[in-house]
Order: sequence, then C-alpha cells, then structure tokens
Amino acid sequence: MFTTGFKFFFGLSAAFCAAALVYGYTTGGDHVGPLSLGWKGGVGDHIGYGLLVALAAASLTISLVLVSFRDADAAAQARLQGLSEVMNDQPVAASFWPVVASFGVGAAALGLVLHPAVFVLGLALIVLSLVEWTMDAWADRATGDTSANRELRNRIMAPIEIPVIGALAVGVVVLAASRILLTVSQLEAVTVAGVVSALILGGAWLYVARPGIGRRLVRVGGVVAALLLLAGGVLAAVAGERDFHHHDETHHEESGEPAGGDHGG
Amino acid sequence: MTLTEPAVADSEAAPAAPSEVPALAQPFVTSDSATVGRLFVVVSLLLGLGTSVVGALLSLGRTEVVDPADMFGGLNAYFRMWTLYRVSFMLLVVLPLLLGVAMAVVPQQVGAGNLAFPRAALASFWSWLIGALIVVVSVLAGGGWGAVDGVTGNESDAMALTLLGTAMVIVALLVGAVSVATTVISLRRSGMSLLEVPPFAWSMLVAAAAWLFTLPVAIANIVVIYADLRGRPAIAFGRAESPDIWLQLDWLVEQPAVYLMAVPVLGIAFEAVAAATGSRSSRPEAVTVIVGLFGLLAVGGWSQDYFTAPQDLRDGLVYVAFGLAATVPVAALAGGAAELVLRGPKSLDRLLDPRMVGAGAALKLLGAAALVGALRVIEPFDLLDTAATWAVFHGVVAAGLVAGVVALMTWPQRLSIRPVPAMVGRGTVLLMGAGASLLVLSDLISGFMSDARDLMALALDANVVLNVVNLVGALLLAAGLAGTAAALRPAPARSEAA
Repeated sequence: MFTTGFKFFFGLSAAFCAAALVYGYTTGGDHVGPLSLGWKGGVGDHIGYGLLVALAAASLTISLVLVSFRDADAAAQARLQGLSEVMNDQPVAASFWPVVASFGVGAAALGLVLHPAVFVLGLALIVLSLVEWTMDAWADRATGDTSANRELRNRIMAPIEIPVIGALAVGVVVLAASRILLTVSQLEAVTVAGVVSALILGGAWLYVARPGIGRRLVRVGGVVAALLLLAGGVLAAVAGERDFHHHDETHHEESGEPAGGDHGG
Repeated sequence: MTLTEPAVADSEAAPAAPSEVPALAQPFVTSDSATVGRLFVVVSLLLGLGTSVVGALLSLGRTEVVDPADMFGGLNAYFRMWTLYRVSFMLLVVLPLLLGVAMAVVPQQVGAGNLAFPRAALASFWSWLIGALIVVVSVLAGGGWGAVDGVTGNESDAMALTLLGTAMVIVALLVGAVSVATTVISLRRSGMSLLEVPPFAWSMLVAAAAWLFTLPVAIANIVVIYADLRGRPAIAFGRAESPDIWLQLDWLVEQPAVYLMAVPVLGIAFEAVAAATGSRSSRPEAVTVIVGLFGLLAVGGWSQDYFTAPQDLRDGLVYVAFGLAATVPVAALAGGAAELVLRGPKSLDRLLDPRMVGAGAALKLLGAAALVGALRVIEPFDLLDTAATWAVFHGVVAAGLVAGVVALMTWPQRLSIRPVPAMVGRGTVLLMGAGASLLVLSDLISGFMSDARDLMALALDANVVLNVVNLVGALLLAAGLAGTAAALRPAPARSEAA
C-alpha cells in the first residue's frame, strides 16, 4: 500500500517538522509561534526555522508524489516488467555521501550552539547528501550493469555537479586568497601574488612542455596547493585584516571633520 | 512465533561493488558491512581503553592517596568525568562494539551478501564517531550532564553540545541497529525461518528491538532538557537546574535499561561455546525464547523518572519484578551452555579454549550483575541509590566487553582480522574478568556499607581496603582492554596470504 519511498520521505518530513519545532523553541520562539508557523508568536531564528519547515514541506510533497506514481516500489516495477520475482542483487557502489551527511549532522549540531551560519551549512550538507544519496541508490538498481549504472548516474548528475562544484571552488579560492592578501602587508601581498602567479605559470609551462609528467603528480600537487590555500585562508581569517587607511578618513581629515562621526543628527 | 518468509525472492542482499577505491579511502566510502563493522570494533575498543583509564583515575580518587576534587580540578570536573565514564562505557564502547561485530557477522549468518542498508551503516559509523567526539570534547570543555554546584554561562553552551552529541550518538547507533535487524528480518536465506536464525543473529534482532523501544525515550529526555537549557523561561519544564540533568538521564545506565548492553552477550556466549565444543543444542528453540525474554526485560524506557517520582517508580512492583526476573534467562542460558559442554568431547584443551573461557567469564559476570540487580530491588537490603547500582553496571559492561573479545576470537575471518593467539585471548579475557569481578564485589560491599544515598561513593574515603580493591579492578580491566587492542591485527591481503 505505502511504498518504501513514501515511508522514507514521509518519516523525513515528520522528523524535519519536529526539528523545526525544537529549533524554533530553543532559539527564542514563544507561545504557539513555532507551532503556527509564526502566525501567533515568534518562531525564533527565522532562517533555520524556515529552512527546516521548507524541508518538511518538500519531503511531504515528494512522499505524496512517490506514493501516487509507485516509484521506488520494487514489486510494482517487477509487475510492470512482467517479472515473477523481485530482483535485489545489484551491488552497492562506494559512495562518500553518507560521510558527508554525517558531517552535515555534526555541523548542524555544533551550529545549534555555536553559530546559526554553521547550522545552516550543516543543513545544506544534509540536503546535498540526501539528493546525491537518493540518486546513487536509484542508479544502483537502474540496470544490471554496474558501469552502465554509473554512466547513467553521471549523465544526470554531472551537468548539475560540475557547475556547482566549479562555482564553489572558485568561491573558496577567491575567498581564501582575498583573506591572505588582505592580512599580510601591502608589499607582502604584492610579493605573494607575484610568486603564486609565477608558480602557476611555471607549473602550466612544465605540464605543456613535458606531457610525460604523471597525472598522479599533478593531482597531488593540486591537492597540496588547495590545502595550503585553504589553511592559509583560515589562518588569515582568524588573524584578521591589516589596518587600512581609508580614503574617506583622509577626506575627513583634510576637510577637518571627525572620522566616523555620527552624521545622522 | 510465526515463520517469516524473506520479503524478496532472492534473499541475497546487494553485495558491495568491486572496489576501485584506494585502501586509505575505504573507511570513507565503503559499502562493505564487514569493513564498517571492523571500524566500529576498532574505534570502540580504543575508546574503551580511554574510558577504562578514566575509570582507574576515578577509582584512584576514591582512595586516600589523592583528593578526587583536586585530581580533576574541582568537584564539578570530577562529576563530569564520573558521568562521562558511565555514558561512555554504554554508548561509546559496549553498544558500538557489539553492533560492529553484528554488522560483520550477521549478514553471513543469515545468508545475505551484505547488510540491508550498507550506506546507512557507514553513515551510522561516522555519525557515531562525530557525535562521540562532540561528547568527549564538550565534556572536557566544561560541559557534561549537569554540574554539582551550579552552571555558568560557558558551561551551559558546552552542556548543550554534550546533549546534542549524546543524541547524535544514540541516533547513529539506532540507524546501525535498524540495518542489522532489517537484514535478519528481510534478507534471510530462502527457507530459513526466524526460529532457525543462529543465536547471535537472533540476539541482535532482539537487542535492536529493545534498543528501538528504549533509546528514543532517552532522546526525548534530551530534547526536553535541551529545551529547558536553551529555550525561554516561559517554555521551560523547570528541571534543567543542575545536577538535575543527570538525574533525568541516569536511568539509561541503571536497571533495567543497562541490560540493553547484555542481550547480544547471550548470543555470542552460546555460539562461542558451541564452536569450542563442536556440539549442538538439543533445544535450539529454547535459546530463542530465553534471549527473547531477556530482551523483553531489558526494555527500559518506562523506567525513566521524568514524569514519575523516582522513589514511586523504584518501589513499584514492575521495577522489582523486572529486577528479579532478569536472573532467570541468564541462568537458563548458562544451563544451555553447560549442556553443550556436557554433550561435547571432554578434554582439557576444549575446556581451556579461549572462546570457552571467555564465554564462561561473560556469562558469570552477567549472572553476577543480574544477581546483584535482584538484591538491589529487594527493599530490606536498601541498596537502591547506593554503589550497588554500579556493581550491576560494571558486571554488564564487563560482560559486554568480554563477549566482544570472544566474538573477535570466534569470527576473525568475518571481521577480516588475524586470529587472536590463544594465550593472549585467554589472558585478556581473564584480566578483564578478574578486574570486573573486583569492581562488582567492591561496589556491592560499598552499597551494603553506605548508610546514606551516595551514588558517587565519595563518603567511603575511609575504607582503604575496599577502595584499593576497586582501583585494582579498574586497572585490570584497563589492562585487559589494552591487551585486546594490542592483539588486533588486520588479516593479510589475499595475494599476501597466497
């Protein structure tokens, strides 16, 4: 009657509802605010509460779609294909999304206490891993051929994953590099930028000039560079930006007005 | 019991795909149940070693050598470590150790290629590990489950993290347990009824059911405490004042919920004796009933005292009946194991087989714990809320640890480890058994000697002999765990073995 997919997403929806209530009440919600979606009383932290309610609604919608169309119902599919038995012997491919989901749950738990941004990051990881995990599980049973399954999964997910991962990577590089350049002194920033540019140029020239260089070496070099950049960015963010002499301060000083004064009257 | 046919025609569960993943990356991506099980076993043994060291320090604190408050930096810090020791042994050591063994062994026992939800099993390991780290770090940072003399602002944040970490650990364990239970229910070999399931697989199914009936109550308790701690006073339930936090959760490490750790012990011990003697039980269905009964007596969600005054609950007939009845299945299973020994060939080698020694030690410890538990609920002895509570706890924990080691010796191939040498296995099991016996004994005598309620047994500072016995017991337990962890070696790769 109820398909596995329906049960899963319906349960997920109930869990998100409960999480939204607890989150609402523990972040400042009062009266029946979290229960009435903010109609009567406050809901606490709006972003986290809104996200959790949205996830509950999305899960509920998916569950209704799944039960209506009998998707992920192995017995229904077997009947449709005229099979007398339900086949369930497909191998399960390796996947790192369970680990990502676990880290997402951990980040959400930490974020509840430390900072709402960390909580939202945790939720984002959970949602991302749920989508990917669902696709992996579907692809595992799409055909009887493991490599065909992998190809099918990549054909659907790669057009989404590659741009998103690319955008995230560019964002992280820009953020980390900007933190480093804004932390060190002006002269050091110019030096660092020059040296790193030269290294990238040199590396690219070497790769073109000597195509025989192992791909593994290039990969290891890329990973090391990314880790150094990330570590440098984090350290720089913790250290804070260097002192700047802003133009408006200069202007104020020149015009004799106090810098940062209250102009609002 | 009705016969249950597998839900799928082909009872083979989805096996892990041939792996192209480097060995170092395997723990992060594997869908192989044996690998996940091994991860659980190794990490829980390491955490067990750390927890037993904390236990030895706590025992040292009970002697006159060092003042417990001075040793840890204050009474609050002592209380934090005291509670960490108890929660850790249950949620970070014994339950995951037995769950890990089950993940590796149960699928093969029931004829399934893999667990029912291999990715969920991997997620359960990592969620458990991350939750455990949050718990340990937050406790060291001043959190924990309450404080004896008040909570400061910073401690409140750390306590919130401890509560969230605890909930995460429990949810992770439940996910793993559901995976194992579903494997037994849905992925059995065609024609294998639940009555024909091997004792360990059956005990894990019963244990998973008992965990599912009990541990969510602890999560609900944690949610209430968390809302009290973080929410506005208008919605507070009024019991978050320290040290009430611990008083809302201590039922988890007391009777009857403490027996949650012991249900798989029965299955492991019985199978280990059967493997060592090479004989079969004349009444296998009796084992099924005995394990099922013990699982029923371990369901302990009802014993949380948030809504009922603790004294009303513990003086109640149900509490007393559960306490007394727990001795019956343990004694019955020990009788079943004795029957196997009598039916098998009688030689000294068989009797000194480390699996036999270990199974015997586990059953004796569990029997001792159940016996003390029965004494504890008899009102004239007045043992409730005394150190006798921890005699039961130590007996059950040690039985779980010894059973875990016995499982490593019984199913090394399934866990992909080298067989533990007989001498080492026998030695570690005896060390743990002796240490736990001393702990149980000293705690029980402490319970009889205390005039007032004194769960932390701090008022017994003057009793030097008893405290030294307790310390020796804790050290022996730690030594046994260290020996087990040191003896673990991965099985050689196939090519290497060839």
